[in-house]
Amino acid sequence: MKRAVRNYLVFLQRCGRIAFVGDWRYYVWMGALTVLCLVGLNAYAKQLVHGLITTGMSDQVSWGVYIANFTFLVGVAAAAVMMVIPVYIYNNEDLHDLVIFGELLAVAAILMCLAFVTVDLGRPDRFWHLIPGLGQLNFPASMLSWDVIVLNGYLLLNVHICGYLLYCRYQGRKPAKWFYIPFVFVAIVWAVSIHTVTAFLYVGLGGRPFWNSSIVGPRFLASAFTAGPALIILALQVVRRVTATTPAHTISSTRHAPVPGPSSSRSATLDDLEKLAQHLPEFRPVPMEIRQKLLASTTVLSVPAGATLLRQGELDAHAFFVLEGEIVVKREESGRLRITRTIRPGGQFGEVSALNNTPRMATAIAEEPALVLRVPVGDLRRLMQQHELGQVIHNRMSERLMITDRALLTLRSIVQVSMLINVFLLVNEVFKEFYSGDLHVASSRYLYLGLHGYHSLVPWIWTAVAFNLVAMFLLVLPVSRSLKWLNLTCVLSITGIWIEKGMGLVIPGFIPTPLGQIVEYRPSLNETLVCVGIWSFGLLAYTVFLRMAVPILQGRLSRANEGQSLGATAARSAGAGAVH
Amino acid sequence: MNRRSFLRTSAVLASGLAALAASLSPLRDLGDYTTLDRFVQKYYKELTPEEMDKVLKRIAADVERDYGIRPHVRDLKPMDGVQFVYALNLTRCIGCRKCVHACVNENNQSRTPEIQYIRVLRMPNGSLDIDKADHNYAPESVPEKGHFYMPVQCQQCKNPPCVKVCPVHATWQETDGITVIDYDWCIGCRYCEAACPYWARRFNFTKPQIPRERLNPEMAYLGNRPRRQGVMEKCHFCIQRTRAGRYPACVEVCPAGARKFGNVLDPNSEVSYILRTKRVFIQLKEELGTSPRFFYYFDV
Repeated sequence: MKRAVRNYLVFLQRCGRIAFVGDWRYYVWMGALTVLCLVGLNAYAKQLVHGLITTGMSDQVSWGVYIANFTFLVGVAAAAVMMVIPVYIYNNEDLHDLVIFGELLAVAAILMCLAFVTVDLGRPDRFWHLIPGLGQLNFPASMLSWDVIVLNGYLLLNVHICGYLLYCRYQGRKPAKWFYIPFVFVAIVWAVSIHTVTAFLYVGLGGRPFWNSSIVGPRFLASAFTAGPALIILALQVVRRVTATTPAHTISSTRHAPVPGPSSSRSATLDDLEKLAQHLPEFRPVPMEIRQKLLASTTVLSVPAGATLLRQGELDAHAFFVLEGEIVVKREESGRLRITRTIRPGGQFGEVSALNNTPRMATAIAEEPALVLRVPVGDLRRLMQQHELGQVIHNRMSERLMITDRALLTLRSIVQVSMLINVFLLVNEVFKEFYSGDLHVASSRYLYLGLHGYHSLVPWIWTAVAFNLVAMFLLVLPVSRSLKWLNLTCVLSITGIWIEKGMGLVIPGFIPTPLGQIVEYRPSLNETLVCVGIWSFGLLAYTVFLRMAVPILQGRLSRANEGQSLGATAARSAGAGAVH
Repeated sequence: MNRRSFLRTSAVLASGLAALAASLSPLRDLGDYTTLDRFVQKYYKELTPEEMDKVLKRIAADVERDYGIRPHVRDLKPMDGVQFVYALNLTRCIGCRKCVHACVNENNQSRTPEIQYIRVLRMPNGSLDIDKADHNYAPESVPEKGHFYMPVQCQQCKNPPCVKVCPVHATWQETDGITVIDYDWCIGCRYCEAACPYWARRFNFTKPQIPRERLNPEMAYLGNRPRRQGVMEKCHFCIQRTRAGRYPACVEVCPAGARKFGNVLDPNSEVSYILRTKRVFIQLKEELGTSPRFFYYFDV
């Protein structure tokens, strides 16, 4: 028990320390975010002293950009977790590794949500009145009390799932299914609930006809499923880009230069197999009879540092097990090479393409002088029939950190469908409001056309509509299968939805007031700075999460290398230098 | 750790802390934002009579310190067998806004920025459509031809949406029908303000300013005691007067006799008589099901 706690503390300490290590890009990025956070904190300190009068809000428009951003980010948090559905329910392997990135994004988004509601409070010092048992939480009558519960619950759920999976990966053991799968399923339902509850916050107000419409809930979900995965598509590419070591073309140009290959090869002996068994306990039960058969076809390669064992794109029917030394696997995606994992003695590589008879998905290079066992695919299949060994090999195959273009395109199809539904629901809403033309149309009229000479939201909403429509057309066209266009589409969708859901939903609900008065709202400078501060804080948190998670997923930060200094770990994971 | 990296780490740490301190420097002016006593103060309904006594004394001391006037602060409870309703005669109202100012004076509302519980709407004859209301009418003299006036304040709903949405029970309906706010419990989320269909709630966006010579020293805990920055307030039927047997300030001041107030459970009260004899009442936004205790009527 004591040891488990100690191990865990070491894990936390190493995670904490790696957050402060990186290359110059990392420091510039983190430094800039820290400065913006402090600027935001300063603006908030002023707000705390002088009150919410420092914002653009008034008794007429009593919620502003704080609540608008809150609403948008709840959607992001919800959508980020919904990505786990294809993985756990449909066993979509493409998205498997991305689940953690999605959940970490959810955690960062919820932290921002909590910050945004806190800065919106007139008396943040009285937050304890919300704590059940201590204060007077008005549950279940107030939708806001529901929001308090579901948001905090969601935060805990995701912190648990991510934290547990990463810790297991760090320790190199298999996560116990009962300890996280039930939470994953709860989190899926919970994700729908956080956004529905947030929609009900508005829908439940009979005195605000603009919000008091049953379509707001579905619209929230549709727009969240568009903006959330779109944000993840962009974030993943940034991760992919900054974890790349070198532009691929520099490698390609040296491709035909003499690269050191295996310096010597010989047939495997029983001693070699025994060595493998030492590092891979599941190999031990393999009977002598099968081991003998293996010897006939298996070779042992002894390679110097820097030697390439297999190359992305080539066809070859061998799998490899490391006996000594360390091998790194690098992948080329969109013109850059990126370390996807590090293999130590007992580990395997090259088995996926060998088993599927597909071209090599990555290049494997010896990081230090190494000894490697090369196994023909037929023998590998026979080995995998050994129950324990087969399972271990299989599990490792599904634990790869691969941000493939295919994964991004899977996300694209989620964005595609959601955007179509989103626009469809918007059309429904606009039709109902304007065609019937009753008195309740005032807010919509103010939003889309302007009312009695007031029209400060009109340019915003039409920008949003234009962005959404362009994004929708791009999404249904095959052109968005190219990453360049897909990224443009994502930026358009995110911006469009951010406006539509923020300024376009929260503000017009207040205009005109229930007594027919029109008072416009414009965020103040101080209010804007607070928002900038919170967004920077969220990005900072997400960067730190990724900074910890990526090396763990790559196998560069693990229990196995606990003795090594962090500097060495960080330097060697050069690619993982600046994750953001 | 060697000397160089130690120096570097401490330099980074020191500049970071300095930047943090600088960014938090506005907090030096936080002043009287809260005190330990106020921070840990219990919810109104959970205060024992002794605790309430202490709280009232503290409020009195705070007011005396801030305004130099010793106030008389009480915690007035609702009376048995009393349910207040309000009736407003739209035929008589002349739109003079005397009620607005009497209310501000009585209830210690902030003068800068201005907070007013009553909003008088100028309506064109023939329509009750609130979208046609003029909030800012300013003629030489009232009343004006072709218009009538409709003052709106908290409607003291029987089914109040503001109470339902409050996440911390800081606002509730008392047995005499008045919806009150515990100013010391409100967290300032303004959800009630968004929920109110009558735009009756007002928020203290900054520290309220009241000239000391205008302070009304006759105060109630749930009524007109000075509020703090960041909390909600609204019309409470002048709880400090009505629970002590007096009329609300707006009723008293109305020069046209348009405002009527009383106990609807007393068949001899003026409001009971009006509700019995007038044929048509208007409950604003009746379709929302809020069931206001505020009735508009016409002389016919």
